[in-house]
Amino acid sequence: MARILVTDDAAFMRMQLKDIVTKLGHEVVGEAENGQVSVEMYQELKPDLVTMDITMPEMNGVDALKEIKKVDPDAKVIMCSAMGQQGMVVEAIQAGAKDFIVKPFTADRINEALSKAL
Amino acid sequence: MDTNDYIEIFLDESNEHLQAVNDQLLKLEKQSDDLSIVDEIFRSAHTLKGMAATMGYEDIASLTHNMENVLDKIRNSSLHVTTEVIDVTFTAVEALEEMVESIAGGNTGKKDVTDLIARLEAIENGKQPEESKEPVAAKEALESLDLDEYQLTVLDQAKEQGFEAYQMEVVLDEGCILKAARAYMVVEAVEQHGEIIKTSPTVEELEAGEVDRFSLIVLTKSPAADVKQSVHKVSEVESADISLYVAVKEEAAPATEEIAATTEEAQTEQKEETQKAVTSKTIRVNLERIDDLMNLFEEVVIDRSRLEDLASEIKNDALQETVEHMSRVSEDMQSLILTMRMVPVEQVFNRFPRMVRGLAKDLNKNLDLDIIGAETELDRTVIDEIGDPLVHLIRNSIDHGIESPEERKKAGKAEKGSLTLRAFHSGNHVFIEMEDDGAGINREKVAAKAIQNGVLTEAQLEKLSDQEVNELILASGFSTAETVSDISGRGVGLDVVKSKIESLGGKLSIESTQGKGSKFSIQLPLTLSILSTLLVDVSEEIYAIPLSSIIETLMLEEKEIMDAHGQRVIDFRGNIIPVVSLRKVFDVEESTTKDSSIQPIVVVKKGNKLTGILVDSFIGQKEVVLKSLGAYLKDVFAISGATILGDGRVALILDPNALVK
Repeated sequence: MARILVTDDAAFMRMQLKDIVTKLGHEVVGEAENGQVSVEMYQELKPDLVTMDITMPEMNGVDALKEIKKVDPDAKVIMCSAMGQQGMVVEAIQAGAKDFIVKPFTADRINEALSKAL
Repeated sequence: MDTNDYIEIFLDESNEHLQAVNDQLLKLEKQSDDLSIVDEIFRSAHTLKGMAATMGYEDIASLTHNMENVLDKIRNSSLHVTTEVIDVTFTAVEALEEMVESIAGGNTGKKDVTDLIARLEAIENGKQPEESKEPVAAKEALESLDLDEYQLTVLDQAKEQGFEAYQMEVVLDEGCILKAARAYMVVEAVEQHGEIIKTSPTVEELEAGEVDRFSLIVLTKSPAADVKQSVHKVSEVESADISLYVAVKEEAAPATEEIAATTEEAQTEQKEETQKAVTSKTIRVNLERIDDLMNLFEEVVIDRSRLEDLASEIKNDALQETVEHMSRVSEDMQSLILTMRMVPVEQVFNRFPRMVRGLAKDLNKNLDLDIIGAETELDRTVIDEIGDPLVHLIRNSIDHGIESPEERKKAGKAEKGSLTLRAFHSGNHVFIEMEDDGAGINREKVAAKAIQNGVLTEAQLEKLSDQEVNELILASGFSTAETVSDISGRGVGLDVVKSKIESLGGKLSIESTQGKGSKFSIQLPLTLSILSTLLVDVSEEIYAIPLSSIIETLMLEEKEIMDAHGQRVIDFRGNIIPVVSLRKVFDVEESTTKDSSIQPIVVVKKGNKLTGILVDSFIGQKEVVLKSLGAYLKDVFAISGATILGDGRVALILDPNALVK
């Protein structure tokens, strides 16, 4: 069981991710609605893994990833993206993201990503 | 997974995002070079896409996806904002709204969007290579790779230094969507072990996406199994076969690029501008819950008045004190619950800019819409109901009020008309005003029409003030537009607007100066469910008259009530006003104990007309909770609802407007 921080600006998406992640037997320790909040919560909660949406207000997912990596180079971050964000995803991978999942999410895919990253 | 649980929040958020897109699009139209606006729109479209795809609303997802492509191009400055782009995007947003609405109505949210998508794609300028490239060279990737001379030399040298060359064939999952990014991850994983000297298809093709299997040659000192395992750590990799590379031919093949160099481009991605309104902490509460809370609280209010009655009977100081305290606290509670139900009128207003824009285009008018006081708060129930009447009034203004640019020029006005929508609080009311600087109401036209329709005779007309003539346009079946246009003037006229507003307890009035413009003002109550009333007695029955319409109460002697033209009238401060007897209106039985000759009268107003209402006695002022009479007793004459009094008796609440002639 891993402690997971979910980041997405849509409450809807957070709810869904949380559901899936919880059903997979992990614990969602926090939900952040933008990159800035995610970075702050990361430092506070020290989760085992962060899911990070890419397109968000305040601070986007890639920048947030970079911030988190500054604080903790070993941080495990999985990017959540939609179709058509190839460039951002690649940038995130370069910046140290462990994996990415593409919306719409499936439980299988999330499971795969989580178990490979953890 | 069952997505039904999410539908509500999905709808909420979708609507928010659609609204944001709307607002930003309008902004973008004015400042087409501000890319931060494009970013905002992009983000909303993007979130929408993600949610819709998750919920399985394919049409919304594909439409937003195409919108996104266009926006992305604008964002990267490879496409410019033109009216066409905005128009098509607006049409797309409209389609999205329709679909979301259909979902809200319990339907599938399906819609044929192929045409729109085609238009978006056309704008996108000959399709985006990333999305449309044919799956490249899948077959040859399986064959053994050829190396050119230079690569073979590198290979030989590496072998001398103890490196092994492995050929790897990677197949990605069928469902994998961002194949290029995935391929990049595979390449990165392999590069942990050594150097990749060749990939097939080429790196460029890999990057273009849509390649689900590819081969590569890597020089490494790690055992094959380790390399393979690293690749399997990457998600969405179906298989990764690795074998020692055996050079087959020595023919020249196209040179490969250094993989690392290819990723530079990705880093040029723009940083997102972050400028969003500071959000206060909120939670979402279902409106039903607040309504339930309000209902419960109303019960408390009823009990409170019962307690007040009891306490005053028992005359126990401690009890009375407690009850008084409870009254004060519950008053605070009431205002708190009421504010919870309050939402900014913005919710209604913010759909207008786009509507006005569309109408102006359709009707060839040129105008600006100014919205003032969008943050003014109104009860949710009122908000829900006020939209349609306002739409009607705005249409009316643009269609009949604002003149065409040519006419305006002739009249010596600025070519651009202006329409101002203003909302503000005043006392216990909220005012919404809509002012245009158009042609105003044409007295002659209205008068002629009224006579033609038999509403008035010529003689009556002479006596009417301009104000009264203006209000004629609110009469049913009245339309002065010469031609019935698509927009307004279909006969379902302003009378519908007027009665809607009146049913909300509001008032509609018109001020207009011919040639200068008109102003429609709507006065609305802050809330609908708790009223301050005057309780009056008619025989054994109690009626509640809303304080908002009462001007004064009088005690007159019976003989002061006169007869004029078969109508009972009184002299009220120098004006002759009609009186009606509640007893007669509601056919209440005469009470046996009729003592004095003093007659209590409640003077009520509607607009600037007054009427006296004869009652038996005044009981006093009381806050009452308005309860509807239920579905079986709809549209009872002059009754707007009922309430339960402290002693458990039911009082009917009067609608004084119906009694004013």
